[in-house]
Amino acid sequence: MASVVENIGQVGIDMGRAFHDTLSFAGRIVMRMFDIRTYNSATRVVLLNQIYFTAVQTLPLFFVGSILFGSLLIGVVFKIIMDLGLANYLGKVLVGLLVIELAPLITALLIALRSGSAINAEIAVMKVNREMRTLEAFNINVIDYLFIPRIVNGIVSVALLSSLFSIVVVVSGLLFANIFFGMSAAVYAGTLLDSANSGDLILSIVKAATFGFFITMIPIRSGFAATDELTSVPITVLRGMVKVFIAILIIEVLSLLIRMI
Amino acid sequence: MKLFANEAALENELAAFTNLYRQRIGIVSEDVPLISNLDVWINIALIRQYHQNLSGEAAQEEVMGYLCRYQLEMIAHKRTHALTDEQRFRVMLLRAAMVADAVIVIDRPFKLLPALQDSRFIDDSLHIIADLYDNSCVFDYLWFKERYRISDAA
Repeated sequence: MASVVENIGQVGIDMGRAFHDTLSFAGRIVMRMFDIRTYNSATRVVLLNQIYFTAVQTLPLFFVGSILFGSLLIGVVFKIIMDLGLANYLGKVLVGLLVIELAPLITALLIALRSGSAINAEIAVMKVNREMRTLEAFNINVIDYLFIPRIVNGIVSVALLSSLFSIVVVVSGLLFANIFFGMSAAVYAGTLLDSANSGDLILSIVKAATFGFFITMIPIRSGFAATDELTSVPITVLRGMVKVFIAILIIEVLSLLIRMI
Repeated sequence: MKLFANEAALENELAAFTNLYRQRIGIVSEDVPLISNLDVWINIALIRQYHQNLSGEAAQEEVMGYLCRYQLEMIAHKRTHALTDEQRFRVMLLRAAMVADAVIVIDRPFKLLPALQDSRFIDDSLHIIADLYDNSCVFDYLWFKERYRISDAA
């Protein structure tokens, strides 16, 4: 019995320590992000490349996915609204559920799946190949050159792609509103504008940016923990992605709590 | 040139030398590889771009000029795994020379160039870019002295 309690305590301490380490690392990153000296010709090139890989290269797939998934969601939501006779709440449901809650979440999941895992593996392979040592040998700050551009890219890309997802959902909603309720574009736009609250929209963007920060920072940190052995690469990716999904859940719960307050 | 009887002595002296010229050291070593997900020219240009904020275009133009000296312009857009040992060595040498007022340290070059019989290729490579660095020093083992054409009498 004592050993069970001891084990639970140890797990709790380890989790608390990991959580504290992640937050203190995040604090260091944020400080560097707002330091103008971080940005030089080399880091700007990395930032542009990262935005290209994450936001531009993925655009066709993301756009098609948004149309398919967004339309499906809209279809389900409209069906429920019709069945329950909640047509008056159409705007609130559309903005509150789909634009503010689901758009950042789905975008974060897609980007974590595609880019988070790639960043984790890339950093881990660089560690295994001793390329971090190369940067140190030439007095190149690893945080400035490798980490900050990837994290800023995460923030920018998730915020932009989440906005794109929202636009696709809103446009799909116009089609469905017309089919289900015979609603004109003007009435539909009016319903949405009445339901939209600037505070909620800001929260949606902040939430997307927060997702972007953590779904890139956590894989970087995890990849950086790789040892000199090649076999540590898949282990760090696995651990990193699990932590990313836990972070996504925590952020989602926190944002819901903030909206409720 | 510094030759040592064993690995520990070499490592100690290398660490001391590196500390002495900390900001000016441009190292060429198996332990300091090229970055595998960057093209050759970016590996070289990175140093100037990061430390001197040189624009990408200016850095590329400069690096292409240096690669031409070695007649290696055709490898500019290749990555490290696609290079021969000789090409990789020269790219590492150019990267080291990009450090401002560089003191180039070549750490056990025959680990990077195992097929070489003597140091003439290394000497030639250094000579071609002699204007790009302040000083250079080769660290190696005593038992390679014949490859450096050093006789026992010397």
